[in-house]
Amino acid sequence: MSSSSSSRPAPPVVIPGSGNNIILNPLQRGNPVLECVRNVGKEYGDIIADYQVGRTTGVLFLSLKYHRLHPEYIHTRIEKLAHHYTLRILLILSDISEHKDPIRELTKVCLTNNITVVVTFSFEEAGHYLTTFKQFEYKPPNMIKERVDKDYTSMLRTCLTSISKVNKTDVETLRNSFGSIANIAKASPEQLANLPGFGQVKVKNIKNAFEKPFRNHATNTLTFIASSQSQKSMVNEHHDDEIEQRDTNVEPSYKPIRDPSPVWDIELDL
Amino acid sequence: MSTLLPFHTSILNEIYDPDTSDLLVLARGLGLRRIICTLLKIFDSPQNLVLLVNATQEEETEIGEELGIMGCRKPGLRVVGYETGTSRDRQDLYKGGGLIAVTSRILVVDLLQNTIPTDMITGVMVMHAERVSPLHLVSFITRLYREKNTKGFLKAFSDQPEHITSGLSPLKNIMKELQLRRVWVYPRFHQEVKDTLERKRADVIELAQNLTDNMDDIHGAIIQCMTITLAELRRSKVELDLDSLNLPAAYFSSFNHIVRKQLDPIWHKVGPSTKALVRDLGVLRRLIGYLLVYDPLQFHSFCQSLVEAATSNNPESGPGKSQWMLTDAANIVFQAAKRRCFVDVPVQDQSDEEVIDLDDDDEAWDAVFELEGRPSEIRQSTDKNKGKTGKRPKWLPKEIHPVLEELPKWSLLAEILQEIEGEIVRMESTISSRPVEDPPGTNVTLVMCSSTATCTLLNDFLSSMDDKRPKGEWGRGMMLKKLRSWIWWEKRRKTMKEAQSAGGSGNGKKGVGGGEKLGKTVWRSGTPPANGNEGLSEAMKKKDWERAAQKASRRRVRGGAPTNNSARGSTLPRDTPVPGESTTEPGIDQVVLDDFFSTDNVELLSLNDDEMELNLVTDMSTLEFATEFDVHYGLLPPPQTVLVRAYSDDTDDRMLDEIKPRFIVMFEPCMEFVRRIEVYKCSNPGLPVRVYHMVYANSCEEHKYLAGIRREKDSFERLIKERGSMLLPIIEDQRTAENDAIIKTISSRLAGGRRELNVVPSQVIVDMREFRSTLPSLLHASHLLVIPATLTVGDYILTPEICVERKSLSDLVSSFNSGRLYTQCELMSVHYKIPVLLIEFDEDKAFSFEALLTKIISDLKSYAKTTNRYPPKKKTTGNPAEHDYTSPTIQSKLALLVLSFPRLRIIWSSSPYATADIFNDLKKDRAEPDPVKAVATGAEEDPEAGAGVNAAAEELLRSFPGITVKNVKHVMSKVQNVRELCEMDLVGVQGILGTEPGKACYDFLHRGEGAFRR
Repeated sequence: MSSSSSSRPAPPVVIPGSGNNIILNPLQRGNPVLECVRNVGKEYGDIIADYQVGRTTGVLFLSLKYHRLHPEYIHTRIEKLAHHYTLRILLILSDISEHKDPIRELTKVCLTNNITVVVTFSFEEAGHYLTTFKQFEYKPPNMIKERVDKDYTSMLRTCLTSISKVNKTDVETLRNSFGSIANIAKASPEQLANLPGFGQVKVKNIKNAFEKPFRNHATNTLTFIASSQSQKSMVNEHHDDEIEQRDTNVEPSYKPIRDPSPVWDIELDL
Repeated sequence: MSTLLPFHTSILNEIYDPDTSDLLVLARGLGLRRIICTLLKIFDSPQNLVLLVNATQEEETEIGEELGIMGCRKPGLRVVGYETGTSRDRQDLYKGGGLIAVTSRILVVDLLQNTIPTDMITGVMVMHAERVSPLHLVSFITRLYREKNTKGFLKAFSDQPEHITSGLSPLKNIMKELQLRRVWVYPRFHQEVKDTLERKRADVIELAQNLTDNMDDIHGAIIQCMTITLAELRRSKVELDLDSLNLPAAYFSSFNHIVRKQLDPIWHKVGPSTKALVRDLGVLRRLIGYLLVYDPLQFHSFCQSLVEAATSNNPESGPGKSQWMLTDAANIVFQAAKRRCFVDVPVQDQSDEEVIDLDDDDEAWDAVFELEGRPSEIRQSTDKNKGKTGKRPKWLPKEIHPVLEELPKWSLLAEILQEIEGEIVRMESTISSRPVEDPPGTNVTLVMCSSTATCTLLNDFLSSMDDKRPKGEWGRGMMLKKLRSWIWWEKRRKTMKEAQSAGGSGNGKKGVGGGEKLGKTVWRSGTPPANGNEGLSEAMKKKDWERAAQKASRRRVRGGAPTNNSARGSTLPRDTPVPGESTTEPGIDQVVLDDFFSTDNVELLSLNDDEMELNLVTDMSTLEFATEFDVHYGLLPPPQTVLVRAYSDDTDDRMLDEIKPRFIVMFEPCMEFVRRIEVYKCSNPGLPVRVYHMVYANSCEEHKYLAGIRREKDSFERLIKERGSMLLPIIEDQRTAENDAIIKTISSRLAGGRRELNVVPSQVIVDMREFRSTLPSLLHASHLLVIPATLTVGDYILTPEICVERKSLSDLVSSFNSGRLYTQCELMSVHYKIPVLLIEFDEDKAFSFEALLTKIISDLKSYAKTTNRYPPKKKTTGNPAEHDYTSPTIQSKLALLVLSFPRLRIIWSSSPYATADIFNDLKKDRAEPDPVKAVATGAEEDPEAGAGVNAAAEELLRSFPGITVKNVKHVMSKVQNVRELCEMDLVGVQGILGTEPGKACYDFLHRGEGAFRR
């Protein structure tokens, strides 16, 4: 579906206000989600999206139950949305059990229209999303960036439990009996196997993680791709053997080379 | 290789035909490996290419060895793993034909890349067929294989009918996935098997040992705890299949799977207390197992660590606290566990001390002798006779009175061994009186137990046994040593804790160290030591011995069992009373002694705990020496030996065949091994076999054994029933459908230049690491061409523009926490026009974030605890809707991610199946991606782009501080493995990572060593 139409309405009226409120489309009046939007101000305004949660962020809301009854509704809304907002979000409330097909279909539509899908599972959650979008409008993404400010114990725990089969108790055991990670790395399989709660599989996993080399060449892609392409070109050559000689190694084109058109003499036509 | 029994032959007759595909389900212990090896041998020829898939690494090597014994040596079974060469090497290997064992993931990649000539494969042998499910890699392999090769055979094997339980018709599901139509079921109660095995029976003596009173108390208490926990679980409002929730079922580790399977779809509705109950059952099950296996001290320290784990992190275990720990029964468990080791007594008076002085004087003298490198066997024997007869050793803290109860099976075993010895002598005398040729078999007594740890323990016990003491205290010497090392570890643990709480105040520790130093010096001048430092060397020696013994018990034993305890005992003169064979190689003994004492020298001369590390190193050298000793001199067959081994898989068959023991002691009951003995007995006619079968009366061991037999029988009956009523699936040809699809696209676009686009079938580039997940298999099933590649950016490339990063729920949480997701999204945004995050839910779990909630909360709590930014939650209720969102939930983080990357799209998929559909949808009418470009994307600075990656190691490396997604590639190209990084010095690490992160990383890796030293 194409986006902009000729009869485009005026750009959205952004209510000046304080800018700290979520602006609601009057269409959303009575939506139970509103009850769940807490800790942030709400005001109605004339906007294209359902909720405007930031200067450039617009949210459309869709309940799958409603979508099942009026499948065309969301398309008209998306069409109206056109190219407004930099971040366009479709908030889907998954309130039916056969969600697979509608979500698949909506995913495709949204991908073509540059809309981000967020699926929620309750009004409560949806409200929470709306609140967070507004609250985090100017928040730097530090919370989800790589962090280093954790303490040693928890770091050690995440580190060792990243090996499969190793649990928190094992981390304590390892730490008590070896002290440091470097010592664990040096430990022999027998030493590990002697610790309480360590079976063969666990020991093997630990040793694999510490001692197997990072890189192996068992599955090298580039060579394969190179070889498969040469194969492909070989195949192609076979296809075209009748027409072309095997002197060239480049990908042959399927279009036979066309004779150049005769020079169009504009004078002649006149 | 031993002869095939009649039922083996008839099985082989049925399945050897290379034109048919079969599934064979055989009862465990009846020699499945024998059948597989014979089959492999039949197909061994360069003209054939037979692949063995889904075998574990151990099985691959074992089967290879067994084939070697059977005569397939050139070239025999070759193993293809992650370390074997490049794809070109493998291609040559495949083209050469023969028998090849391949790791499933590699085989998938090879099949997809056409490295393997699929149409040339003669057949595929699938091990562990019980694990095959629609999402399993083997079903993917089967599909790829059958796509191009319909003539080859596929033989699947399984010896675990208990695990064929998935769905309504489990057997049919497996057969459908493997695309085969014939199945053979051979339980133990099969008539033919019965006829063969029950003709000649071994002479079995069943011994039921009672538990000691303390053990009985603990046993009863644990059972009570389990019953309580089970009752709680039943009472929780969850709809569980109550029939499966009974006590015998809870003995098996599969119980957890059953419960989890039932709970998974509603896992998010399950309260944390219920989850804790499920977890507790697992803990209790292990606890009751350890009770009968571990020595009292080990059991006690396990209990201690349980208590510690429960109390240490308070905020986290708040809702999920183990309920059974609060019961009286649990108290009984912990009290009795301690009572079995020692009792606390008020400090004794002086009279005791004097005795000890004498005793220890002896030890000190011994040490002096050792220093001089002179064996002190005479002294040692006096030491033994005098020191261990009830006097109190000096190193014992005064407030402890050792009880050191022993496991009753130990002395029972000792008695049995004595009886066997008598029997052997009797037999030999009768033989020598009669001029008959030697009967088959050797006099090696085989003792079988459940684990290598028990092996070590038994070896230890038998070598240090002192049968002059009253029964039940024969292993006193060993136990005292264990107690000593335990006290030492306990002390160290305490100092470490202090060090932690003191936060690096080195004073206290220095004080301790100084004290020890003092004590040691005093000791050297002839006065008894007043600290645990001697304990250290003793402990290390003990550990060393354990390790050596374990190593020995693991080693393959061939031709007369060099693992003989008594011979080994000679290497450790102080530890073991030598029963009489130490004189076999005096010269060697001397060398051993020298070596050993030189180690001791190091220990004794170095005067503080600093030498802990060094100690470990020297330990290794002695250990190596010990094995070398075996290699060179251990092959002298001693007249009568005791060999302790752990139950293993089908390897045991070969071991029995090689050792040919007449006397077998089964220290713990084991259904498979009983059958192995039956098979062994039948394949060696004329060999007298006597079996001692030990079991704790009225214990969970007995119940478990019986329940295990019943379970197997039931599952066989179920299988047979299903086979009787099964509707055989007809395998439709998937290729035709695919061709149609291609033809359709071509026919609609015949005109002009567009034709080029359409010849290429729809393809997806998939990261090599993603083959661990099930999605690639499903993508292939949905007629997409899957191209494996090692990608730097993203997991799946759908079109030149769309790049997908797949996250399962748990991945999502962890990569949000670690911040990896942010970096990944950053990378995708840089390189692709449409970066996509795929959030994939599990099929049988709920399609909702709520499932994650409690998990996230616990994650957050640990986070909150460290930063104090977020107040910890009071109580999570069972109803997730009431959850308040004040703390940053997964949703908040997702919102932040969406706000940070306006171009990022999110795909929400309820299952891998749904994902495959969505991918197909998205690919419609778009250009195909280019693999070369995809691999090169983002990998500009990586010289080894495209090479395979050891995911576990990379994961571990990434979790170190100072290592980020950006520099991880660089580190991996500089360092071989994690261990190498650990062994680098500070400058080296900084050289790779830069000054600041390098220091952080180095400190992290080596933290804790300081506390050890000071």
